[in-house]
Amino acid sequence: MAQIKIFGYADKISVKPGDTIQFHVSADGTSTAEAHLVRLIHGDEHPHGPGFIDEEIDCAANGTWQVEKQFTQVGAFLEVADPDRKLALDGSITLCAFIWPTWPDVGHRQCLLGRWDNDRNHGYGLGINPSGRLEFWVGCGNEVDYLQAELPLQKQAWYFVAATFDARSGRATLYQEGVVSRYNSLLSKVAPVEYRSHVSEMFRFRQNNLPDTPFLVAGSRDWHALRGHFVSQLYCGKIDRCGVFDRPLDHEELDAIRSGGQPPLDGMVAYWDTTKGYTDRGIGDLVVDIGPNRLDAEGYNRPVRAQTGYNWNGRNDCFRLAPHQYGGIEFHADAMIDSNWNATKTLELPETLRSGAYAMRVRGGDGEGLAEEYIVFFVRSRMPTARIALLFSTATYLAYANERFATDGQIVQPMAGQPPTISEVDIEIYENPEFGAGCYDTHADGAGVCYTSYRRPMVNMRPKYRIAAFDLPWNFPADLSILAWLEHKGYDYDVLTDEDVHLEGVAAMAPYACILNSTHPEYHSERMLDAHEDYIAGGGRFICMGANSFCCNVAFRDDEPWIMECRKTGGHWIAWAARPGEYYLATTGQMGGIWTGFQRWGQKLVGNTFAGEGFAHSQPYRRMPDSYDPALAWITEGIEGEIIGDFGLGNGGAAGIEIDCYKLGFGTPPNTKLIASSGGHPDNYIAHDEEGAHAHQGFSGTHNYILRADMVYFEAPNNGAVFATGSIAFGSALPINGFENNVSQLLSNVVNAFVRPGPLPGSNRPRKSTAGLERVAP
Amino acid sequence: MLPLEYGRSEDRDIIVRDRFDGFRREFLRTLVNPEVIEEHRQSALGQHSERLERLLIYFRQRPLEQRYAVRAIEPFRRYQVVRLSGRRGVPPRLVDDAIYTSANDARHGLFLRCIRDLLET
Ligand SMILES: [Fe+2]
Repeated sequence: MAQIKIFGYADKISVKPGDTIQFHVSADGTSTAEAHLVRLIHGDEHPHGPGFIDEEIDCAANGTWQVEKQFTQVGAFLEVADPDRKLALDGSITLCAFIWPTWPDVGHRQCLLGRWDNDRNHGYGLGINPSGRLEFWVGCGNEVDYLQAELPLQKQAWYFVAATFDARSGRATLYQEGVVSRYNSLLSKVAPVEYRSHVSEMFRFRQNNLPDTPFLVAGSRDWHALRGHFVSQLYCGKIDRCGVFDRPLDHEELDAIRSGGQPPLDGMVAYWDTTKGYTDRGIGDLVVDIGPNRLDAEGYNRPVRAQTGYNWNGRNDCFRLAPHQYGGIEFHADAMIDSNWNATKTLELPETLRSGAYAMRVRGGDGEGLAEEYIVFFVRSRMPTARIALLFSTATYLAYANERFATDGQIVQPMAGQPPTISEVDIEIYENPEFGAGCYDTHADGAGVCYTSYRRPMVNMRPKYRIAAFDLPWNFPADLSILAWLEHKGYDYDVLTDEDVHLEGVAAMAPYACILNSTHPEYHSERMLDAHEDYIAGGGRFICMGANSFCCNVAFRDDEPWIMECRKTGGHWIAWAARPGEYYLATTGQMGGIWTGFQRWGQKLVGNTFAGEGFAHSQPYRRMPDSYDPALAWITEGIEGEIIGDFGLGNGGAAGIEIDCYKLGFGTPPNTKLIASSGGHPDNYIAHDEEGAHAHQGFSGTHNYILRADMVYFEAPNNGAVFATGSIAFGSALPINGFENNVSQLLSNVVNAFVRPGPLPGSNRPRKSTAGLERVAP
Repeated sequence: MLPLEYGRSEDRDIIVRDRFDGFRREFLRTLVNPEVIEEHRQSALGQHSERLERLLIYFRQRPLEQRYAVRAIEPFRRYQVVRLSGRRGVPPRLVDDAIYTSANDARHGLFLRCIRDLLET
């Protein structure tokens, strides 16, 4: 019997009681599964803590579900809506495109553009054959004629390629010319590389077009007995302007297009101007046909727009400045932004559900290992009454979704200071590209992954999961330690997600007197960052629980909040680097990368941000002189001695993993007080120096005082305040000794003061509000 | 002089890397002693002596297909040592049947393999 495996996802990540949520499940080795709604309380199984804790919740969906194996279309491509079959050309044809292949020698056929049925060998196509050469083919079922170029394509070089076919004579011609400039390709003209190939041959056969074959760019139609139709022959690389004509264009006409001239209207069936439809606020998935038939193409699995085109000249670094030089659309054979599985179950959530972190637990067979899935989602309050909210970093969860860096990242072991600790589910996603990757990964073709989504199983957004690279609960499962602490202490709290803050801005945060965020609140859209700033400035009291906080800039479309875009640029701590000229988010037109690049250092918001990371070992904090100031003594009330947090589920200390520090030069508010600080971290902690200094000896933990977690506190206008821990490990120290320890004590002191209305303890600020700022919290 | 096996390789970087590693290993072998191994056994993670740090940095920088990893069969209870494939999508493979009852024990088992590889080449 096949091993039972269950995977699933929900269509929403944040819901309210009474909302409808859909669960999508795929199962191997079983046709039924037992489902039960649970409220998640603690997710770290470390034996020094309370272990995994959940609570079963009654709901209409509990019980036996019928489940089936579901299939996922991976790979990005464009599909042309052509209801009148204008592209079912039975006679002469020209296909042409500017291309920049990234993996011509992948070893299987890649279709650039065509109306080709790969299962039945009908139609026509222009592509790259298994030997890496440009190839044109026509087929009529039993017979296929092929014409290939004389030499393989070079990777990362711009070409203008075309195939012409004269149906009367049967003459087929391939046109292949390099359009390599000083800027646009891997190699310069000093490299003695041949790009050109012109070949011609008489075909014996003519194409036969099946009625329902779609015209695709970067793939071709295929069929499988269980799956039905799908797309294969996926292409890796960029395509700039491309078109189809119903006559053979001559050499001079092709030369003219190659040189940047307008394509001839005579015989034009479609011509996709990939630079059309750009706006100052971003680029969508539609690729505009400027030909007579308006056969626009739609991207599937989000082909990457805003990429440099064949004519990029290096002067402008953004599509907004020179749209016509940004016609590159990049395709990846393993891109995946939506599993698109059939819904297995729809649930109207009980009206009585309290706000919290929930999961639909789905078990097949014995429910062991891969036979158990937790489909996690968050329930907000319909009418907030609690004074506290716990904000889950769903944007950061998206960035890390299904990352595979323990097995593929060259730099990960030296960074992590340890070998990876790999579990069964890590191997499962490693072997199966259908799970899609996260923004820490690269595509198989080498490019960084810039789109991630929650409409697919996210195996690391689960309780119990431990990240392979660091052998720690990471993000969501670690954040549950904060939730468990709130539960243990009996606080009345609601939960929020990044998605709520992105969609609603400060209004999502405003009902709460005090908001705690997560262990690793790294990724923020501009709207999220603005909302935090307005919340705090308006009198909100914010506890930044984690580290590497507010560092990275990401973007969402309003109508598809489940998909996030991330471009990696700036700083020297990024998993991959966006290529020159490709730093801007296609979603919004804003520069991607780190907020440092916008003069919006995390320090400006919460007093500290990224100092460095090292993962393998944590330290305690030592109290700093400010903690003994009588006006601030309330923060450390009940704590004996100098040392705070020399324990924890996160490598034995409350300060570590990733750590943030205070820096006046990066906008730490000048009234910020330093309550406690760590230091002396091991040498695999390396400073991330944002001042851009040369890397040098002595950057590392035991040599460098900058590598420390700073526990900071400051008062903001309107009785607002911020407390920031500066450490990912802080949250994992809370559960030690049944939640009774000095880290827990300290956090209680802060939360208790923050939820109390009126001025903060020890405040010597004038009572009157700062002009122009509206108080937000009650 | 190029050894023959490099003849068809286009990427000269690999030749330099291997030569550099040769010199590096020669020196690193002189650092291996019972005290270093005992130090690692007692504490696999965190700050180590200069001698042990140098060895660990080297082990963690090996080409991916020469690196090992720990496989968690059952977290906090049962672990094994595996070797990475270095090929995307190809899972790590078991190196032996040894079962370790803690992640740190497995890390030490892995370390001993790295030491053996170093001394044998
Ligand atoms: Fe991070």
